[in-house]
Amino acid sequence: MTSPSEQRLHSLMLPDDWRNMLATPINLVYNWGRMYSLWPLAFGLACCAIEMMATFAARFDLGRFGAELMRPSPRQADLLIVSGTVTKKMVPQIVRLYNQMPEPKYVIAMGACASAGGPFKEGYHVVSGIDKFLPVDVYIPGCPPTPQALLEGFLRLQDKIKRQSIFEVPWYRKQERNEAIPIPLHGPDLIDPRRISAIKEELARQRAAYAQGTSPGEQGSAVPSDKAFKLPVWDITPLPFAQALAERLNQAIGDGCVIPEKDILVVQPARLVEVATYLRDAPDLDYDLLSNVTGADYLGRDPRFEVVYHLYSTSRGGGPLVLKARVPEENPELPSLVPVWPSANFQEREVWDLFGIRFTGHPNLKRILLWEGFHGHPLRKDWREPYYEEPVKPFGSRWPAGHYQSAEARTPYNDNVSYPLQYPPGADWDPELWSPPEEELPVVDYRDLPNLHISTDKIVVNVGPQHPSTHGVFRMVLTLDGETVLHVEPVVGYLHRNHEKIGERNSWLMNMPYTDRLDYLNAMGNNLGYAIAVERLMGIEVPERAEYLRVIMAELNRVFSHMSFAGFLTNELGSAFTPFLYAFKERELILDLFEEASGSRMMCNYMRFGGVANDVSEDWLERARYLARERLPRKLDEFEQLLNENEILISRLKGVSILTPEKAVAYGITGPILRSTGLPYDIRRVEPYSIYDRFDFKVPLLHNGDLYDRYLIRILEAREAVKILNQALDQIPKGPIQTGKKAWQTRVPAGEVYARIEHPKGELGYYLVSNGSSNPWRYRVRSPSFINLTALSEMCRGLKVADVIVVLGALDIVLGEVDR
Amino acid sequence: MFGIGIAKGLAVTFKHFIETYLDDLKYFPRRYSELALESRQSVRGRGLFTVQYPEQERPVPEAFRFLPFLVYDIQVEGDTTRHVIRCTACGICARVCPPQCIWIVRAQDEKGKPLTAPAEFHIDIDVCMNCGFCAEFCPFDSIVMDHEYKLADYERQVGHIYDLQKLLRPAGYYARIRPTQYAARQAAKREGAAKEG
Repeated sequence: MTSPSEQRLHSLMLPDDWRNMLATPINLVYNWGRMYSLWPLAFGLACCAIEMMATFAARFDLGRFGAELMRPSPRQADLLIVSGTVTKKMVPQIVRLYNQMPEPKYVIAMGACASAGGPFKEGYHVVSGIDKFLPVDVYIPGCPPTPQALLEGFLRLQDKIKRQSIFEVPWYRKQERNEAIPIPLHGPDLIDPRRISAIKEELARQRAAYAQGTSPGEQGSAVPSDKAFKLPVWDITPLPFAQALAERLNQAIGDGCVIPEKDILVVQPARLVEVATYLRDAPDLDYDLLSNVTGADYLGRDPRFEVVYHLYSTSRGGGPLVLKARVPEENPELPSLVPVWPSANFQEREVWDLFGIRFTGHPNLKRILLWEGFHGHPLRKDWREPYYEEPVKPFGSRWPAGHYQSAEARTPYNDNVSYPLQYPPGADWDPELWSPPEEELPVVDYRDLPNLHISTDKIVVNVGPQHPSTHGVFRMVLTLDGETVLHVEPVVGYLHRNHEKIGERNSWLMNMPYTDRLDYLNAMGNNLGYAIAVERLMGIEVPERAEYLRVIMAELNRVFSHMSFAGFLTNELGSAFTPFLYAFKERELILDLFEEASGSRMMCNYMRFGGVANDVSEDWLERARYLARERLPRKLDEFEQLLNENEILISRLKGVSILTPEKAVAYGITGPILRSTGLPYDIRRVEPYSIYDRFDFKVPLLHNGDLYDRYLIRILEAREAVKILNQALDQIPKGPIQTGKKAWQTRVPAGEVYARIEHPKGELGYYLVSNGSSNPWRYRVRSPSFINLTALSEMCRGLKVADVIVVLGALDIVLGEVDR
Repeated sequence: MFGIGIAKGLAVTFKHFIETYLDDLKYFPRRYSELALESRQSVRGRGLFTVQYPEQERPVPEAFRFLPFLVYDIQVEGDTTRHVIRCTACGICARVCPPQCIWIVRAQDEKGKPLTAPAEFHIDIDVCMNCGFCAEFCPFDSIVMDHEYKLADYERQVGHIYDLQKLLRPAGYYARIRPTQYAARQAAKREGAAKEG
């Protein structure tokens, strides 16, 4: 058999032995050239991207293989490393990037998620592997693969290239060249244009079955009667303080507006705004921080939905005041609290998106995590995703008769998609005739800027979701007047991995490794917050040694998080990697300790309810002590010497994007950014958890509230973290690391809890509701990155485009936590 | 004076540059030896930091977990050697697995009575999140987290669904990669047996 290219070579009238003689040296040179000049696209999706960056950093240095140049533009790149979870919202962009890359081009699927959906496969918003759309050359298993595993995958790709022949490769042949891959569309669910006829056939089949009455048809028609849907009930006798506050509110606003239940206040929906305003404005109450807003679905109860508000007072400190408003199943609606606390903005949109509760008076009530037009509201208990199996885990199909069957094989479309028969409601949906609606551009109320002299036309500029300085898959729609920013519309959800839906199906313990993947730079902190929340519900104590280990891990994580923050921020200022590389060097050493203690570098899964997973050795402690006493202080000095007085840094950061403490609190900003405005609000002090009350540390405070203070406060906090580390490492006692026996099944008494910790990014809270069974009824993560983003537009108004990138960098968001 | 701050910063990078070469001198002439690798990668290391993978490899700690494997013991009786799979198909690993990537078929005798052995065992390694719960809660010490991470390949549809044959490793391998854990669990087992006996 001779291939067409060989025939062409024959037509050159070369004798056979000549051709053979030529082919080998040509291929040798040709393959050698491609092998050692693979240029990856600067493109990262999720947790795996951090390990990919570590592979590019000092310790593993992918540059040694000729892949030094990470190209920000697909036109210049020939390797697409799909590093992380591919979501339905993101996949059109990935396909577009791939189409824009010139041949020859290669794809590496890095990690379980990119290969086949990974641990998030069952989620309704996750694509089951990038190979559904792109041809993949090398798959790297692991969650995440270690940098050495990625290097191994890279070597496999080089092997593959080595075996190719210039006479066989498709990209020099007109008739065999790949056509551009059609861009997936966003309809009621993700639509692959290549499969439209198959979708149509299946829809016709379903309609016929529905007409004959053999199929349940639409979503949500079947109410589960399973024991997993036992409604949570607990004692609601009001506590004295709630009783007193309710009486006061009833007197001030009108009888019956508030009913106390245990330690919460149930507010009449019509009076919500009045009650909220009163609580905020009464000088002795002063609930100025609306920290958490979320919904809950009590399917089978009337009224069915509940919206929960957690209020704090930054002046008084202490625990939360919980408000609840209940709304019925039919036309659920509540007044919006955005006029009272702007921090409710994104969170109310999220409740609308995931629960379908409308907020009247909300300035911009659109879907936030999913796209406009997605069918259904996924966090409703009766909404089922395509891969739905059972209401709760463990699934009966796994054991004792666990015959393997892939999730795809169970669905009619052979993929993680489902389409309603009618869309929009009332009309049969035809995927062929349907075209996605055009995206609305943001409407801005025009404000005259005082320093604006020339009037120009407004233009809209899109940044992201694939952009080297958006910290992952984050998109901003900027409205500009010339070079001046009028409005920034953050668009999130490109990494929405359905943590909460999966979390409500998981057992309590199963959620622990999932929390690792929220803020994937701070796995230990995420573990700690979740463990504390569940322990509070269970009412169990943690042994001394375990408490110390938890603090040590969390603070090591904080040091690293703040150092890499400085690295990322200066990258965005154009410092060409030096601080980033220095930060990642220290990160490697910290991760070595984590890996030894927990077994994994990034996804530690270290905490357990009532303790920690593994003990550490004396040698481990000795190394940690050296790190905390000698190395980290020295490195932080170096960092300050490197950056603090740098004139370029100062001129870019000082006096830019000033935030007042009042505004920061109103927008729900917590963590270092709040403290850089001059408000000493650190949860480790105002509502101590774990054993933080034993350590001697300061809460660093700066007063300008500009970008420079946001940078500096992180370095100061890293120093305080080192101080805590030193004390904890000196005082750590010997003893057990776990209360009671480690159990794989945990029953948690019925009740609800909101527990929060001081995360490097701000207030990380877990709101959990238990119905007394082995799975949470409601599992909600209040992530600091997401809520800090609410103020992005406010912080950017009036700045230049280049500053927007820096403002975003100084917010220090992690997309795993923003989109959850 | 304008520029002092930048100069100070550059002094730091220059220091890093020099340190690498000073460190090289220390290990002259074998700057990539095992000894040099160990000390340069430790918390006390300075200067050059790169692991020359694949010529050098950074060893993984004992606790390191990647994918699970199943343990079998080799029993020698006279001339015959038997491979005894430790797994009893109790199903705890499948039930504790957070992404539910373990599938077990329990073996049955002719009458349909369940036996304490797996007939089929599948792990979808593209769903596995490497959390290690299966190994942590296995009462028979029969599922253990492997250290092998060099698993990149060109295909996933068949190769990434591990079956019983692909999952099995001898107990000796387990003892080699996780000596402390192996010894501790063996001791606990003996103790338990002694109590019962």
